[in-house]
Amino acid sequence: MTLVDKISLELGAQEPWPKDVKFFQPHEVEQVLLPDNANCLATQAFLKMCQLPYIVEPRPNAEAMSPTLKVPFIKAGRFVIAELEGIVQFVNGKGITLTEPLDSDQKSNMRAYMSLIHSVLEMAELYICWVDDETYNEVTTARNGSVYPWPLNHIQNRNKRSQVIKKLKTLGWYNKKLEDVYSEVETCCESLQTRLDGKRFFFEHGPTELDALVFGHLFTILTTPLPRSDLANIVRNYPSLIDLVKRIEKEYFKKAAQQ
Amino acid sequence: MGTVHAKVEENFTEAHSEIKSSARELPDKGQIKEIEIGGVKARVDKIHIDGLSRTKNDIIEDCIRELFKAKDFQDVLLKAHKARVKLDELGCFKNISVFIDTSKGPKATPDGLEVTFNVKEHKRIIGGVSTHVGNNEGVLQIGIKTPNIFGRGERVQVEYSHGSKKTSNFNLAFIKPFRGKHRPTLTTSMFQSHMEFPSSAYKMLEKGVVFDLGFYSWSLLKHNIQWEGNIRDLSTLSRNASFDVRKESGLSLKSSLKHVLSLDLRDEIIFPTTGSLLQLTSEYAGVGGDVGFLKNDLYLQTNYSILPDIVFQGCLMGGYMSGISNDLKISLADMYFLGGPLSMRGFQMRGVGPHSDGDALGSRAYWAGGLHLFTPLPFRPGRGGFGDLFRTHFFVNAGNVGDIEVKSGQNILEIIRNNVRVSYGLGIALRLGNMARLEINYCFPYIYDKCDQTHPGVQFGIGVQFL
Repeated sequence: MTLVDKISLELGAQEPWPKDVKFFQPHEVEQVLLPDNANCLATQAFLKMCQLPYIVEPRPNAEAMSPTLKVPFIKAGRFVIAELEGIVQFVNGKGITLTEPLDSDQKSNMRAYMSLIHSVLEMAELYICWVDDETYNEVTTARNGSVYPWPLNHIQNRNKRSQVIKKLKTLGWYNKKLEDVYSEVETCCESLQTRLDGKRFFFEHGPTELDALVFGHLFTILTTPLPRSDLANIVRNYPSLIDLVKRIEKEYFKKAAQQ
Repeated sequence: MGTVHAKVEENFTEAHSEIKSSARELPDKGQIKEIEIGGVKARVDKIHIDGLSRTKNDIIEDCIRELFKAKDFQDVLLKAHKARVKLDELGCFKNISVFIDTSKGPKATPDGLEVTFNVKEHKRIIGGVSTHVGNNEGVLQIGIKTPNIFGRGERVQVEYSHGSKKTSNFNLAFIKPFRGKHRPTLTTSMFQSHMEFPSSAYKMLEKGVVFDLGFYSWSLLKHNIQWEGNIRDLSTLSRNASFDVRKESGLSLKSSLKHVLSLDLRDEIIFPTTGSLLQLTSEYAGVGGDVGFLKNDLYLQTNYSILPDIVFQGCLMGGYMSGISNDLKISLADMYFLGGPLSMRGFQMRGVGPHSDGDALGSRAYWAGGLHLFTPLPFRPGRGGFGDLFRTHFFVNAGNVGDIEVKSGQNILEIIRNNVRVSYGLGIALRLGNMARLEINYCFPYIYDKCDQTHPGVQFGIGVQFL
């Protein structure tokens, strides 16, 4: 983040949360892919936990519109802020926070788990979508290309795939086998379950952005139909995580739907 | 060929003086006899072309065939000149010189002439680095071309250019001229270009293919029929770009058919003294792709010499775009923009019309007109030399850009007059070679809207086509 961006965030902080905040994401039904959907859902969960109102605006070019070229992003007045971490920071600037009662040890603990989810679950989702041939051919090409006309859809799929593969290569995920990916996910869920330790949320006092992020990823993995259901089956082995996901869904999403 | 040129205009007094002036170089004035060459009977017996190696005969024959039909000496000169121009247009030769001699040998006729064209073919590969002028920017271009690869004027060229305003352009083209009355030329090219538009806060990367068929339906009436398919990747220039620009980001595929008609009757490109230029462009996008519109553009320029060296110029340009379907989008890059030193002077680049947070958004229609008076510099310093590159320039510009809807029953004049912008000013115009014009003007925006970005005072413009 450049200095200018930081200053603009600081300045934006002084204004209250505007009423017409728009939440931009790709089309949920026909376009969005597993990792993007997880991040969008996590951010929505966070905003709901903070009880901040927003309007969802699905756009086919949401990714290109985002200042970081990643979904989701919000538009609050003059400010455009992308991704969960940026939005959390922006919301904190307005004096709204979910991590007030945490001491600095717990905060850094929370950040460590969040980066674990980004570096394991998100990578595994990217791997399944773009590297695994079966999923790529059956699901990813159709969905990612759905918003482009022929022959741009094929070109765009190829470009995006090579971008993702480049990213996975630098992070050492491309050369992994499917079994390695699954075992990474298992280890990740294992450690999350240990941290949760039967509590309602990861921290005693209530939900935090970590809960939002875990909910976003696990809920998406559990509910997205894919040719390979292995990922969902792994997650199902961790009942306390499933309970957390159900709890958050009931508390923040079902309630909103009923209203 | 100076005398030939004078004779073309059938202007005997001028021809007379030119012959006299050339006569000065000759030692003995007494021996000069003036001959009316129009009356001298002549016929071309033979034509030699010297210096051909890989160029095929048939295309050369097409160029020179007319020369055999010449009846008198004037005709021979004229047709030899035309043949030379045609040979030059083939783009196969570095230089061409013409010699005319009386015909000798057993088969020579009494009035017979022999015409020899000495040509020098281009090398197989030529390349170079050059600078040229684009729209208000300087451009450095590196190019390689292989002229005349198959012996009939075909060429492949690769060009890369980089502009001072961060534009870059790569182009690979194959050009094939055909034989025939209409002088058709087929061009196929692939390009990739990157452009930045700070006044609209976006940048665009374009990759595409163009097929172009150019031909003349009448000696100066040129048609171009094009199909263009390109992928445009539009993105914002900075984080602070207006949201109206941001929401246009992303990829689009335009596939369009285009017809360009141009008629250039001007005597010169940069500072014409007489004649008109007409360009009509129609573009239909939506033959595949996800961009759809029908666009019609007009550019008209007319020049009158009021007094010698004082030229009055009128320009008119306009465009109208309509969407063809709700499923096909019209991107920010397809919009019309107005303002800047090359169009509405006295306004900033794209300064006229709707803006959002200072970024120009463009419109679906525009028109602009300009009246110009070009005179030599006051007191004419450097007359006959350097001073002739300059002109004093007075202008009035008027125009408007907006989503003008033409409804039936509405007076079109009223729509045009509504919300018109006017600016005027004076300055100096400079001819740069034979390819660009440079203008420094002092501008006074006279009528403008509150959302416009005006640019009163000194404005600098450099380019090829001006309003």
